[in-house]
Formats: sequence, C-alpha cells, structure tokens
Amino acid sequence: MWTIPKPRYKNCNSLDTRDEAEIAVNIGGVKLVLYGDVLNRYPESRLAELINCSTLSYDIIYSLCDDYDPGKREFYFDRDPDAFRCIIDVYYFGEIHIKRGICPICFIKEMEFWKIDQSYLDECCKSDLTEKEEELAEIANKVKLILDDLDVVPSFNRSARYQKSLWKLMEKPESSLPARIIAIASFLFVLVSSLVMCVGTIPEVQMEDDEGDLVEHPTLEAIETTCIGWFTVEYLLRFMSSPNKLHFFLSFMNIIDFLAIMPFYVVLTLTYQGTAMMDLAKVQQAVQALRIMRIARIFKLARHSSGLQTLTYALKRSFKELGLLLMYMGIGIFVFSALGYTLEQSHPDTLFSSIPQSFWWAIITMTTVGYGDIYPKTTLGKCNAAISFLCGVIAIALPIHPIINNFVIFYNKQRLLETAAKHELELMELQSSEDSMVKATRKSGALGALESSMRTSRSDNSIPLIEESTRTFKSRKYCSETESF
Amino acid sequence: MNKGGSRSTTSLPPEPVEIIRSKAHYRRVRLNVGGLLHEVLWRTLDRLPRTRLGKLRDCNTHESLMEICDDYSLDDNEYFFDRHPGAFTSILNFYRTGKLHMMEEMCALSFSQELDFWGIDEIYLESCCQARYHQKKEQMNEELKREAETMRGREGEDFDTTCCSEKQKKLWDLLEKPSSSLAAKVLAIISILFIVLSTIALSLNTLPELQDIDEFGQVTDNPQLAHVEAVCIAWFTMEYLLRFISSPSKWKFFKGPLNIIDLLAILPYYVTIFLTESNKSVLQFQNVRRVVQIFRIMRILRILKLARHSTGLQSLGFTLRRSYNELGLLILFLAMGIMIFSSLVFFAEKDEEDTKFKSIPASFWWATITMTTVGYGDIYPKTLLGKIIGGLCCIAGVLVIALPIPIIVNNFSEFYKEQKRQEKAIKRREALERAKRNGSIISMNMKEAFARSVELIDVVVENNGENMGKVQDNHLSLSHRKETPKRTTSEMGSTQSLEPSSPDKAHPASPQQLNTQKLEEMYNKMAKTQSQPNLNSKDKGHLSKAPKKRDEIEMGIIPTEPAPTTDMRSMSSIDSFMSCAADFTESARFSHSPSTIVPGRVSTNPVLETTLEHEAMVSSHSATKVPGGRGSKHGLFSDSPRGLRFSNPLKNRSLKVNFKGGDADPSSSSLAQGPGGGALSDSSALSAHSLMSPEVSVYTTASSKTPPPETLIPTVFTFHDASISKFIDADTDEEEHLHDSSGTNASQRLLGKASPKLSSYSSHHRVANHLEGSQRMLGNSVFPLEARSGGGQGNHVLSRGERSRSNTHNESK
Repeated sequence: MWTIPKPRYKNCNSLDTRDEAEIAVNIGGVKLVLYGDVLNRYPESRLAELINCSTLSYDIIYSLCDDYDPGKREFYFDRDPDAFRCIIDVYYFGEIHIKRGICPICFIKEMEFWKIDQSYLDECCKSDLTEKEEELAEIANKVKLILDDLDVVPSFNRSARYQKSLWKLMEKPESSLPARIIAIASFLFVLVSSLVMCVGTIPEVQMEDDEGDLVEHPTLEAIETTCIGWFTVEYLLRFMSSPNKLHFFLSFMNIIDFLAIMPFYVVLTLTYQGTAMMDLAKVQQAVQALRIMRIARIFKLARHSSGLQTLTYALKRSFKELGLLLMYMGIGIFVFSALGYTLEQSHPDTLFSSIPQSFWWAIITMTTVGYGDIYPKTTLGKCNAAISFLCGVIAIALPIHPIINNFVIFYNKQRLLETAAKHELELMELQSSEDSMVKATRKSGALGALESSMRTSRSDNSIPLIEESTRTFKSRKYCSETESF
Repeated sequence: MNKGGSRSTTSLPPEPVEIIRSKAHYRRVRLNVGGLLHEVLWRTLDRLPRTRLGKLRDCNTHESLMEICDDYSLDDNEYFFDRHPGAFTSILNFYRTGKLHMMEEMCALSFSQELDFWGIDEIYLESCCQARYHQKKEQMNEELKREAETMRGREGEDFDTTCCSEKQKKLWDLLEKPSSSLAAKVLAIISILFIVLSTIALSLNTLPELQDIDEFGQVTDNPQLAHVEAVCIAWFTMEYLLRFISSPSKWKFFKGPLNIIDLLAILPYYVTIFLTESNKSVLQFQNVRRVVQIFRIMRILRILKLARHSTGLQSLGFTLRRSYNELGLLILFLAMGIMIFSSLVFFAEKDEEDTKFKSIPASFWWATITMTTVGYGDIYPKTLLGKIIGGLCCIAGVLVIALPIPIIVNNFSEFYKEQKRQEKAIKRREALERAKRNGSIISMNMKEAFARSVELIDVVVENNGENMGKVQDNHLSLSHRKETPKRTTSEMGSTQSLEPSSPDKAHPASPQQLNTQKLEEMYNKMAKTQSQPNLNSKDKGHLSKAPKKRDEIEMGIIPTEPAPTTDMRSMSSIDSFMSCAADFTESARFSHSPSTIVPGRVSTNPVLETTLEHEAMVSSHSATKVPGGRGSKHGLFSDSPRGLRFSNPLKNRSLKVNFKGGDADPSSSSLAQGPGGGALSDSSALSAHSLMSPEVSVYTTASSKTPPPETLIPTVFTFHDASISKFIDADTDEEEHLHDSSGTNASQRLLGKASPKLSSYSSHHRVANHLEGSQRMLGNSVFPLEARSGGGQGNHVLSRGERSRSNTHNESK
C-alpha cells in the first residue's frame, strides 16, 4: 500500500490540535492515512467534511462515505483509487493533473464525487477534457439528428405530419427508398444542367438567331428549362416543408440552391420586360452576367457529397491558414515581380513591360504552372525566376499543411462520428430493452430500483443533449414492446 | 491446490454455509486481480447481476465459486482472479459509476477480451472511448483477416494426392516463391529481365530509324526486334503454362489478378498473329490493322507483370483499391474546380479576339493543366480578369489536390508497413525452417512473433507437419503420410483403453468442449512433433509407424479446425495465444462440468509443448511428492496423460496457465506445484537447453516457476522475482517457442551425436520415448520416478535456472 508522507511543514502548526486529526481512508482497496490540516485546505471537499464531522453520528458518516470500520476508524469509499491518487494532489500542490490513461470524462465524475472544483484541474489537462467534451457534444448532435429522423412523431394535426414526411423525403436520402430516388434524381439533374451549360457554349452547337448572334440550341434550352423547373420545385418543396423558414432561408446550401435558379428567372423577366425599361444592349449584358451565375449550381453537388462538405468545413476552419497562404503568395508575387521587372529591363525586347504585368508571371512561376507566355531572358532574371520558384513551393507548402491537417481530421472525424452515433443508438436500444426487462421482472424491488436508477444515471451527464430524446426513445420502445406482448 | 488460500491442501472445500456466512459478514469484498488488490462493496457488484462479478455474489457453493474465480480465501474475504490487473480498474469503475471507460494505453483487443471475461458487453463503453475502441478493433480485425488470407493463400495450398503432386509442388514453389530456393530466385530474376527486355523492345520498335516498310508501304517491326519479342513471348507463355499446370487450384489461379495480367501480356501477341495470318488477303485489311494496333498497345500491360516481383507495386494496387473513396473525392474536387474555373475563364476571355477559350469544354483543358500546375502554355488567359481567375485557379488546384492525398498516403503507408512486416515474418519462418533442417537453432526475437495471430496456429501446425516430413526424410517420405483414419482412431482407442483409471476421458466429445478439444488437439500435436524425431532416431524400424500415425492425426484434424476467421471471438482474441487459451478456459468454465473444478491446478504444466512423458513425469512426480490431497488425486489421473489430454477439461486449465500463466498466479502453486513445474521444465530444458536461444531458455525457466503464495515452503521462494517479469515477456511468444522446441529435438539429435555432453540428454530422451512408445503405461509409471531421482532433487534446491538443474540431472545420470 502507499501512503502520502506527512508534509514537513506540519511541525510548524502542530500546536493546533484539531488539525492533528488524521483519518484512515480506504479507497477501493487502497488504504492511506490523511492529515486533517492538509485536508482542511479545501474545506468544501468531501474529505474535509469527513474529517470535520468524524466525531458526529453515523448517519452523516454514511452519507459521506460508503462504509465505516469503527474498529480501525477507517472510512471506505467505493471509488476508483487511480483517480483518487491524482485528486489527492490538490491538497498538496493545489492543482490536479489527470493521469495518462484515465478518461477525462470519467475523471471529472470522480472530481465531482470528491467535491473538488473543476477549476483546480491544470490547464495542460484541460485541453484534453475540452477535446473529449466537444467530441461528445458532436456525437450527441449526430445522435439527436438520427433520432429525429427515426421519430415518427404522433403529430398534432395532419398538415404537420405531412410537412414532416415531406421534409424527410426531401432532406434525408437515407430515410426511405423514394427519398433516395429523389436524391439521385436531383443529383442527375445537377449534372445534366451543368453539362448543358458547358456544351451550350461550343460554337458548333450554337445556332444563329435573326440578328446574327449566336444563341443556344433550342434542345439544350429545353433541357435547361426542365432542369430549372425541377430545381424550382425542389426548392419550393423544401421551403414549404422546412420547420423553420428563416433558418432554411439563411442556410448555406439553400442560398446556393437559390442562386442556381434565380438567374434563369431574372433573365426571363429581363428579356420579356426589360426592353421596356432599358435598351437592348444593356439587357444583353445583364443577361450575360447572370449566365455566369449558373455556375453556382455545381455547388449543389455538395449536398450529395460528404467529402465536399468536409472540404468546405475544413476551409472554414482554416481561414487563418488560407490567409497566411495568400499573404505569403502576395508578398512573394510583389517581391519577385518587382525584381523580375528591374532585372529584365536590360534586355531590349523584354516581356516584362510593367510591374503589374509581371505579377502574372510571378504567380505562374511561384505556383510552378509556367505557361511560358512570359519568361525571363537575362541571366539575372533567370536566377530570380529560379529563386521565385523555390520560394513559391515553400510558401505554398508551409501553410497548406495545417489546412490539410484540418481536412484530414474532419474527414476522419466524420467517419468516427458515424460509428459513434450508431453505437450510441445501439446502447440506447439495449438499455431500453433491459429497462423493460427490469420492469417486467421487478420482484425484488430494491435491486431493480437500484439498477434502473443506475441506468438512468448513465445517460445523464455525458450526453445531456440527448437525454430527452433518449427518454422518449426508451418509452416508445417500451410501449412498442409491451404492445407486442 | 489450496482452494482456501491459507488452508492446507488436504482440507476439504468449505461448506456453502461457511461461504454464505462469510458473505453476510462482510459488507465489502476484496478482489485480487492479477496481484492487485481492490476492495469493493458487495452492493456495488449487485448492480450488474449477470456479469461475472455479479454472479460471484450469488454463488454459495465451492464449485460454483471456483467456476467464477480462480481462487478465494474466506478468511481474508478475498477472491482471486487471474487476469490482467490494468483493465480491471476500468471494469470495476463500471460497477461503481455505471460508466465504462477504457484505459487509454490499453490495447483495444485485449480490453475486449477482458470485457468478455468479466461478462460485460462492449456496447456499454462510453461514447468518448468507444469510438477509438471500435476503430481500432475494426482495423485490427481487417488486418488480421488479410493476414490470414495471405497466409492461407501461401500455406493452405494442398496438393492433391496424385503421384506427381510432389513434383507439382516443387514446380509451384520454384515458380511462385522466389525465396524458396536459389533456382527459384534465378528464375524470378530471369523473368524480370525478360519483362524489361520486352518493354525496351516494344519502345524501340516505334523508332522510325529502326522500322521497316512492308510490301503495302506500311511500317512494320524491325525483324531483329520481332525475334526478341517472340522469344520474350515464348518465355512468358511457358512461364504462364507452367504456373497453370503446377497450380493447386486451377480456377483460383485463373482468377488471380496477377495471373490475369500475365494472360493479358501474352494474349495480344497471339491475337495479332492470328489476325494478320488469317486476314492477309482479305479486303478489310485496314480494319484489321487498326485492331492489331490496339492489341499492340495492350502489350504495354506486360510492364505490370513486374508487380509480381515487387511488394511496392502490389501495395500501390491495394492502396488504390482501398482508397477509392478518397480517389473519388480527389476526382470530384478536381472536376468541380475544372468546371468552375473553366466557365469563369470562358466568360472572362470570350470577348477577346483570337481567343483560344472558344467554349467551356475547350477551356476544360486549360483548367486541368492549370490546376495540376502543369502549365503547357498552349492556352493562357490574356485579359486581366482572366489572369486573376488563372491565379486563383492555380492556388485552388494546389489546395484541392493536396487535400485528399494525405489520406491515400496514409492508407498506402499502413499497408506497405504491414506488407513489409509480413514479408519479414515469412522470411523469418523460412530461416527457422532452414535452421531446423540444418540442425542449428538461430536466436529468435520472441517479441515479434507475438504480433502474429492465432490464425497462424494452423499454419504453424501445418508447418510443423512439414518440418516433420523434412526431418524424417531419410526414413519417411511424404507420400507415406497417408494412412487410414482408422489407424488414428484405433491408436487413440488403444491409448485410452490403456487407461481405465481415468474417469474423465469418458466423455470426450461433450458439445461445449468441442472447440476447446480441437484446440487442445492441435496443441497436442505440436507437442507431439517434438517427441517424434527421438522416436525415430531410437526405434527406426520398430516404431516408424508411430510418426505416420501422428502425422495422420495432424493431417486429419487441420481441415476440421474451426475456421478462425468466422469466429468473431477468436478473431478478437487473436493477438496472442495467451488470450486464445484464456478464451477457451472460459468456455470450459461456463460449461459447468464438474470435472473442470476437481483436478485443480496440479496439472498446470506450464510448458505444454513438452512431450507426453514429460507431463506424466510432472504429474506423477507431484503425486509422489505430495501424497494425499488434490495433488495425489491428480497424480492418479495423470497416469493416463493422453486420455486426459483428449478428454479431460482439466487440461483446459493447464492450457490456460500455460498461456497466460505469466500473470502471476500466487495461489496456483502449492507444494506439489513447485517441484512438479520444476521437473517439467527440467525435462523440457533437456531438450531445449544449450541449443535454444537465451530467451527461450529463460522462458522455460520462467514457465516452470509459479510465484508462490505465502504459505509455500521456503525453497520455492527462490523462484520469486527473477522469473516473473521475464515470464510475462516470454510468455507472449508461445508459437515461436513451439517452433523452437519442435525443432529442437531434430537438432538435438544431430548435435547429440556430436557432443558428448548432450548425448546424455538425448539418451535420456530416447529412453523416455522408447518407454512411451513401447509401453505407455509402464513408461508413465516408471519414468517419473526416474526423473525424480534424477532431476527432482535439483528442482527443490536449485530451481533457479534450468542450467544448474540440468547439471544436477546430468550428474545423477
């Protein structure tokens, strides 16, 4: 067994007799002797309470510890000794470090039991904890989403139920076969419309209209209209079925959807009504500009690919690194284009006519693309080009690493979350079935109650978010099972 | 065995009343798990009544208690479990807090076994830990499955029983396993050279200077190069055909990806010849030419033949197959980028006169070349807007390509590492085999073998079988192995009939024990392989049938072994032998067969691979040492070691201790145990000593020593510390050790003739084998006595290392 040596400075205040009190504690089999003066440094903690009330009645003692051996004056706690070893540190050093290997979440529970504030946990271990907590929260969110999907809420009225099922049909491809078909169809429409947009620009496919301008082929136009029609219907259905309209309207995916269909209608109104307001040339220009916005529909693919979502997420998270990348590139471009420009001045027919002109060259060189439309001709210029190329590689490679890291982390996390959520659901199912079993066989009341209380305490704190849903899930489950009996 | 901890060995198990009283008396219970003491309230354990600890509360009889825990002491209110103490902390916390967390440094697989043992469903793992757990487990399972597949692919080639099967096998080895022999290596190198040569010829053929012009005015191949090509193709064809002929399973061969590549490399040539010859005068010559051209291009595929000779290429292929998800992502990213930037640049550049961005599809090319940062410069933007878009396109391209690649790289490096490891393992095994053949044992790193899976067991068994064949080559050819199964059974029957005193063997095939039995048999076989060479050396003519029979047992049983891949449990418990053994100990425990409990632990011979007479020696030894009590009981039983092995669940226990006995088991050693173990290691030391690597010797020592309880006689105390730590290490390496010991005898036999010191050992062995072979009963009863007189004394006093012990032995001889 191990004991904590009595601190040396104890001798200094040894006059205080009350602090002399020492208690023997047994934590899950590990016995040690603790001194009152040490424990009283944190009077609100469980051990301090214990030492202060050790003369009092058994009731209080038993409320504080699990067992008491009056012969040896030993208090027994049915807790994890490993965690206690770390927690006892707070009395000596004022801070707690989590021993490697103990799950932080589990450790926090122990700290709560010993009534020691979380703030004593040292910073270095806190990051671990927050990381774990974040992960848990994410899992909880995921589980909540899944549970929502599973929910066949006994709705209050018909329209709400229809709305719900429509929402599921449009938004959750996994929920049913028709939903999946709709998702695939929508995916195909996105592809087709993107292809049509590209093909429509090929001169051979285009046709001349009355004024000699090239316009799109009528068949392509028809396909385009169909696609837009589908997109519009889809968007409207989504909008109608969404539980929260404002939230729907502001979400990123839906803005893209909106941008994908909006140009078409604007162009339509402009061509039919615009001539009345402004002259033809301007209308055409506006139409041209709006056509570019059709590109936005490619982003609609992101709805169907988790990889793309991860990309956007990773880019969002690594905003700083992206800025860094651009900054490095910007500095490099400025420096090397200016250098290149000055060094190339000596050559009679130089391609570097101005510094802004040589920006282009700098970008193309630094990103190692190298079209060859502009290239240095003097020796010094060539040396500069070589250096700029090297610097470009480094400038790109350095900030890209954290971005990649972010991406990989999110990518892996996404997979991890999926398994975790699945597992959580299984766990809930198991618990609910066990609960019902306990209820069914509840003869020895005390034991059953203990068990069930322990079970309910399981889902309490780690995932508070889903507690509600768990309960409904359980009760539903239970109902269905009892019905089946 | 001292059931009651401090109780003496002769005392009876405590009455149920006592147990109930003890349980009622204490509110708490002390759990000793692998040496670590835990104290917990009974109330806490009641929370999960269906788990192992929960059941502990309800057990009121000695037998049921012994089923649940490994030992207990009512006086101390202490229950002993022979399990890993590390995992138990988190498991006990599950009872306390209702939350199952996993120790971070714990291996997921071993944790899962612990969970199995304690009867807790892994589903209870908290979300924060389970993600890691499942990921690791899945990954591990996948890896093991793959390894098993490759192993089976390599080793499981059973050649059918035609007369030329041996030649076929040799041919197969020659062609498929370049590392198997020098000739095979040379063949592989020649094959590589031919591939390189033919590829060079193929490229040279297209040089205009080297081409000829035929009568139609078309360019054709250079005649010299055509010859080269023909020779190469001839070689490839021959190789392919030989492979096909020698392959044990034609259909599997035909399906193999590498063989498909081979076929594709040679087919175009023949198709070309066929087409040109049959269509020479036909009108649609142009069409034929085009087809021929296509087939000529397909010749390029032969470069892929190099994959057969390079692990790197194979792992590249595997990586691509495995990370098609990420590749898809990469392509998707690129496609989206190309789409977006090409349409953007099209709109920016289209009003420029003489622009090359004529349409969006036309600018696809530009976008691709820019995003991949190739930049040919055939198309480039000229307007300011176009240039800005171009710059963005470059940066986006760099980003987009870089993102999914690390994931693919990760896959690749993982697989590559794995492949390397496997290769090393195979090489090592081959080296070991060679060493056995040559009669010298190379030093083995024991740790490494731990990584290998339990699935390899069957491979090992097979290997042993092969080794046997090789070892006995002089008097037993491979084809002789085929014996009628009747013989096996009759032999088994006879051995069993010899031992009427063994009551346990009466039910050899009770259903719950089926699995364990098979495993046992397997181990037995491994054990037996050790004794065979000696048998042969001694009684070549007389007993030459015996090895055959044993081989037959091996051959017969391997196929019937439960496929480990299909068994999740064994999958999860693959990481070590030790756990496997533990698993089936459990099953034995849960089988509720009373015989599991009775024999207790005297039979715990820690070195299973010792020969049968060794075991007999141990048990009777202990019997003679400790008359009365359980020890003697077992001693009587163990008169029939064979019968016990095959039928008696008590062996489960022995196996268990054997494989995971490293976890200090203080209670398991009684007065009888120490010397018994000593004697045993003594005998095994005889075979192993001075031939094996130091590690192995350590192992043998260590395994013979079980840490004693406080009540043990002082002489046994000398075992104490030195062994345990080493033991745990060494313990992990059972199969390697099996290898070693199975090989030792062969080498020993050889060396025994050479060195006079060793000859005494081997003669000793021969006596044993002879006795065992000719008259088992007698051997069992006589030999232990002899062993005792010889080694027994040494065991008591020395028991420090088998070196000294065997010296004693030597002197006594």
